Amino acid sequence: MLKFLLTASLFGALISAPAQAQAPRVQVKGELVDTWCSVTGIMFATGTAHHMCAVWCAVGGIPVSIKDQQGNYYMVLRIAEDDENASNPRYAKIMSHEVTVDGELIERDGTKYLFVTQVRDDQGVVNLTHDENGIQPFGN
Amino acid sequence: MRKTILAVCFAFTASPQAQAAEAWGIEGEKLVEFSARVVDIACTLKNDCPPDCGGGKRLLGLMTEDGKLRAAVKASVDFGGAVRDLLPYCGKTIQVDGLLIENPAITMVMVQRMRENASQERRKTLTFQADWDARNGKSDEWYRNDPLANKVIADDGVYGIKGIEPPKQ
Repeated sequence: MLKFLLTASLFGALISAPAQAQAPRVQVKGELVDTWCSVTGIMFATGTAHHMCAVWCAVGGIPVSIKDQQGNYYMVLRIAEDDENASNPRYAKIMSHEVTVDGELIERDGTKYLFVTQVRDDQGVVNLTHDENGIQPFGN
Repeated sequence: MRKTILAVCFAFTASPQAQAAEAWGIEGEKLVEFSARVVDIACTLKNDCPPDCGGGKRLLGLMTEDGKLRAAVKASVDFGGAVRDLLPYCGKTIQVDGLLIENPAITMVMVQRMRENASQERRKTLTFQADWDARNGKSDEWYRNDPLANKVIADDGVYGIKGIEPPKQ
């Protein structure tokens, strides 16, 4: 009887647990940007002109996203085994880099969240914007 | 005269504008005040849940009463996020006000003020600055004096490319 109850309750728990949907695997190529400045447009916020500000924001705990050429934002929540996604020094060191990554994409309530499984390519900072835009936001 | 002064005082204390969120003029912004539960975003999405919402090392979100997950991306500190303000309330429901940014590419929240319940005064989200000052000494421009930020910029340059520097003034 006890065995039956244990089996029944285990089965009940299994079928009542919410199914964790398999996140689609994607490859994303784009620039690592600070999500606040880039999305809001409060300043010019890509490439070399905005690199210093992007580092400050990453250190300050503002989410880091990959912005692709189509203007999509992928908020990065993990890079390989590193699951620290706020004020992570690793993120600060690669801000403004052009990267290609593989990852799992979860879209929810208007936002794309990316769990990066592998960084396939890191070109460094290649978006040269400082000649035209100076240093944002405070100038030289 | 006394009645007039009392009426003016009441108008200030009762006005919703006195403590409402401040507009920034950002495209797609809405001034909002809502109740929400503080959550670790990665935990919510992937069931990857360290204790205490990651202890300050995880981005935090706000789960609204109608089940919407809102990434809390910015606080009231320059260049500062909202993790430090929200962390003590991991798993709890609080009231926040600020800006809901509904961009076609992303939806996110700037948390300007918060409180535990309606009986409390709202307080500005300045915990990042307070924590930074406690660790490093008081600074009006934390970002210019942050050891990590300064090291990254010293290593790779203001533009992020070694060897390319702005012209000397």
